[in-house]
Amino acid sequence: MKEVPAKIEHNNTWVVVKIGVGEDRIALPEPVNKEILFKTVSDVAERKNVLIITVKTDTEVVYKILSVEKVLAIIKKLILGSCNAYRLMAYFMSPAIKGGVMIKDAQWEKGSVVVVHSGIWFVSATKQICVPVMEVASIELTKREVQNKPTDVVRINHLESGEVVSSFVLCPLSTLQVLYNFLKETTKGMDMKGTELDGVDQQVAMLIYSGMDSHAIENMLNLPHKQLDSIYDKILNLGIAEVVTIRREVQLTTKGVRYISDATKTQTN
Amino acid sequence: MGKILIVDDTLFMRTLLKNILFSGGHTIAGEAGDGEEAVAKYKELKPDLVTMDVVMPKMNGIEALKGIKAIDPAARVVMCTAVGQEQMVKLAIKSGAKGYIVKPFQAPKVLEEVKNVLAS
Repeated sequence: MKEVPAKIEHNNTWVVVKIGVGEDRIALPEPVNKEILFKTVSDVAERKNVLIITVKTDTEVVYKILSVEKVLAIIKKLILGSCNAYRLMAYFMSPAIKGGVMIKDAQWEKGSVVVVHSGIWFVSATKQICVPVMEVASIELTKREVQNKPTDVVRINHLESGEVVSSFVLCPLSTLQVLYNFLKETTKGMDMKGTELDGVDQQVAMLIYSGMDSHAIENMLNLPHKQLDSIYDKILNLGIAEVVTIRREVQLTTKGVRYISDATKTQTN
Repeated sequence: MGKILIVDDTLFMRTLLKNILFSGGHTIAGEAGDGEEAVAKYKELKPDLVTMDVVMPKMNGIEALKGIKAIDPAARVVMCTAVGQEQMVKLAIKSGAKGYIVKPFQAPKVLEEVKNVLAS
C-alpha cells in the first residue's frame, strides 16, 4: 500500500494521519483504525476538500477525509472504479451548457458515469465531476448533433450557483434507456406532478426565484397579504421553498406617538 | 444607468423585468408585446438598451432584433431566452445581439448583464 498524507475526522476533530491506499481498499490508521474495502462503499460525496465516504456493511458508517486535491483525486478514482454503484462506460460532456449557452471548448470525453446515492459522477482520465442528486433539475432522453448526426443522449440539468448547467451522456440507446430510468428513480424525491401549484402560485414561485421580496410580490401581483401568506404555506409544505427571514409590521403606541410628536416639535422650533 | 425598452408578450414577464431594472436604477423607456411593436417603439423612443423575448407572436425576437439593427446598427439588444434555447442564443448573437439573459430571471444576473452591455 502507498501512503498519502491526509486528515481524518474522529469525534468531530481532524486528526493528521497517513492513509494507506491500495488497489481495492484504503487503510485509515489510529485513532479510526479501519480498513475500507472499496466494494463496501455505498456513497461518495465531496464538499470542498473533504471526501465523504459511506460504508455499508451491517450498519452504515460515514468517514470524512480531508486532503489536497491531488490526493483526493487518487482516492476518488479508485473508489469510484469499484464502489457499490450503478456504473457504465460512456462518453460524456460535463459541463456542456451553462445558463443556456454552450461552454467554450466543451468536448466529449471517454470515461464512466457512476451513480451513487447522493450524486452522479462523471469520471475520465483527467476529470472527476459530481452532480449532487439534490441539485438535479431535470433528466431527459433527447437527441443532440454528434459529428453532424442527430444522436440519442441523456441530458442532465442541474443547478449550480443559481444557474442551470447541462451535461450529456452518450452510449448505446439501450444503455441510455437503463441510465435514464435509473437516474429518474434516484431523483424521484425531487419530482413534482406539476399540478400542485396554480397559475398565481407559479408566478409567486417565479418571483421568489427572481429575488423579489414579499412586499414586491404583493405589489406586482396585486395580492392581499393573507393570500400571499397562504401561497407561502402551500409552497413551504411542498418543500420547494424555505423561510429565510420573518419580518414584522408594527404600529406606534400612544407613548410612541407622543415621542414622535415631541421630537417633531423640537425639530421645528 | 440606461433608458430601457422591454419587449415580451407576457405582462407578467414585462412587470418582473420592469421591477428588476427599476430596482437597479434604470429608467423604463417603454414596453412592447410583440416584435412589430418593438421595432416601432425603438424608432420612436431610441432607448439605450432593449430586452427582447425570443418567442413572441406576429414577429419573433430574432426578426425584431434584425429589424432594430437595420434601423440602428449600434443598437444594444439583450435577448431573453429560456433554458434549452442555446441554438437560439447562437443565432441571436450572430444577428447582432449584445448579450442574453435566461428565464427564469434572477435579478442580480439581469442587472449584471444589462450593466455590461450598457458599458460596451
